[in-house]
Amino acid sequence: MLRPRSIADPALAPLVGSALLAALALWHVPWRQGLERPATLYDHSSAAALAPAYALLTAAALGIPPGASVTVRAEPPDAELEMWYHRFAVALLPGRRAIPSALYGAFLAPEVWKDAEYLVVVGPKPSPAPGRLLFETPQGSVWLRDR
Amino acid sequence: MEGATWLAALVFLPAVGSPLLAHRSFGRFPFWSRVVLSGAAGAALVSFSMTLLALADRAWGVAVVVALATVLASGMRVLLRGEPATSPPESASPDVAERLAGAIACIAVIAALLATLGGAATSVDLVFFWGAKAQQFAAARGIDLAFLRNPAHQYMHPYYPPLVSNVFAFATTAAGRFVWTAAALTFPLTLAALAAALPGVLGGMTSARAAAATSALVVTTLACIGIQADIAGNADMPLYLFETLALALLLRPDAAGATGDLLAGLLFAAAATAKVEGLPFAVSATALALWLRGGTPAERAKASARLLGPTAVALAAWFGFGLSRKLFSAYSEYGRFFDIHLEHAGGIAAAIVTSVAATGRGLAYVIPLLCLVGAGRRGRMAALPLGTAAALAGFLVFTYLHSTGGPAQWIGWSAPRVFAPVPVMFALAAACRREA
Repeated sequence: MLRPRSIADPALAPLVGSALLAALALWHVPWRQGLERPATLYDHSSAAALAPAYALLTAAALGIPPGASVTVRAEPPDAELEMWYHRFAVALLPGRRAIPSALYGAFLAPEVWKDAEYLVVVGPKPSPAPGRLLFETPQGSVWLRDR
Repeated sequence: MEGATWLAALVFLPAVGSPLLAHRSFGRFPFWSRVVLSGAAGAALVSFSMTLLALADRAWGVAVVVALATVLASGMRVLLRGEPATSPPESASPDVAERLAGAIACIAVIAALLATLGGAATSVDLVFFWGAKAQQFAAARGIDLAFLRNPAHQYMHPYYPPLVSNVFAFATTAAGRFVWTAAALTFPLTLAALAAALPGVLGGMTSARAAAATSALVVTTLACIGIQADIAGNADMPLYLFETLALALLLRPDAAGATGDLLAGLLFAAAATAKVEGLPFAVSATALALWLRGGTPAERAKASARLLGPTAVALAAWFGFGLSRKLFSAYSEYGRFFDIHLEHAGGIAAAIVTSVAATGRGLAYVIPLLCLVGAGRRGRMAALPLGTAAALAGFLVFTYLHSTGGPAQWIGWSAPRVFAPVPVMFALAAACRREA
């Protein structure tokens, strides 16, 4: 295929190397999902565990009004996950006041977030109900809290 | 629709850089290389203009940012006074190897695009800080101090260099809202820009077929690492673009002089304001380039001013903002500066190797290394990419040594990305011709 100039053609090694790497890059494309668009940007990434929270918070952005305060919790509670969820809330709920329930892997005192108007729960519905259920998705539920 | 507008706003970047790159002395670069170099220079100037406006307490707007950046680009032409007109090498129709290299690079870009659209390459840092900051800054029409000072937002690293959050905020202002998918697509878009520009830049230092093959190796290396290390939407791919083009420029025999130095200097400024590790890259590459060039002390002083002046000015504006607002005064990362924990040295080396090996079995690092070894003895200019790679690796290990509790976890999520320029430098070194 290549013109046989010399065995030391400077293009040969990088061409072979790049062909191998291109095949490797294609190998890591999530072909199995076909042309179906993933639900989130993270469905097949190394952060796939956070994809449900991303999907739920994107949906919650339509139901939580600007200016409202909101806390995101995991069900069952998990300080590590709730720290990440808070970071997602800051980004995906712009214009709202995201109040953390955990920071750096440790729960914060409930007094910190008890006044949040809205509660987003990633995972099963909590019991008892923390307020009025606004809507739920397969990833979790969004509540207007009793205050 | 907003996503398309968000991405279309990035067209302002080459437009802003074009008054400078339209100078006759840049005629040595083929059209697409010139467009991408204009975009890279434009990104540096747009970000710098936004930082200046923030420093002056002036609100950001598309028109004012574009106007200020364009004035700066036009003003920089003064520095090129007396530089002669140049023209690109005569274009021959590409041979089979060049066509094959182009096709391979296209496949890599398509793989990056499909992986990003398929949700397989997005960086969590896009949501955690790059995008979150850009969205907030666009809403505030400036760098939002209250947002960055919030104790719950300290994970956003207020001191992080501003280029990516500034450019994303610029696109957000133009589009009317932040579009997460569009931001993630900057990975394949920037990779495509590199694929378009690099053959023409490398063409000045080696044959057209070797330049095309080396470009394909660089692009596929970054596609592989980018997909597997999830870099879509973060600052890594823009950093790779700026660093790779700057190094490729300095490897050209016509690099010395106001034209080459000023352009490389702007790319270094873009790198240093994109990520923290862009600064040691720029400093070490400049030092090595000047050492390899030789010349009188006066010539070296002039060249170093051109190469590092834009970086110094850009970082002075950023640190001026941080200091004047009592927001930050230094890069802090994950420990006190020079509080070195040598007891972690052995563990760091092992963790880096493990982490890199876990990224596509390390092939994206090993294959460029094999190409370098297989290329045999290289010309002395190979010391530039190899020395820069060594300096960058040394800097990264130095930062890991600051971790008090052991940096294994930190290395696990950062090493595959931050070491990616090293195999790129191997590929560039392999392309350095032996002197006759």
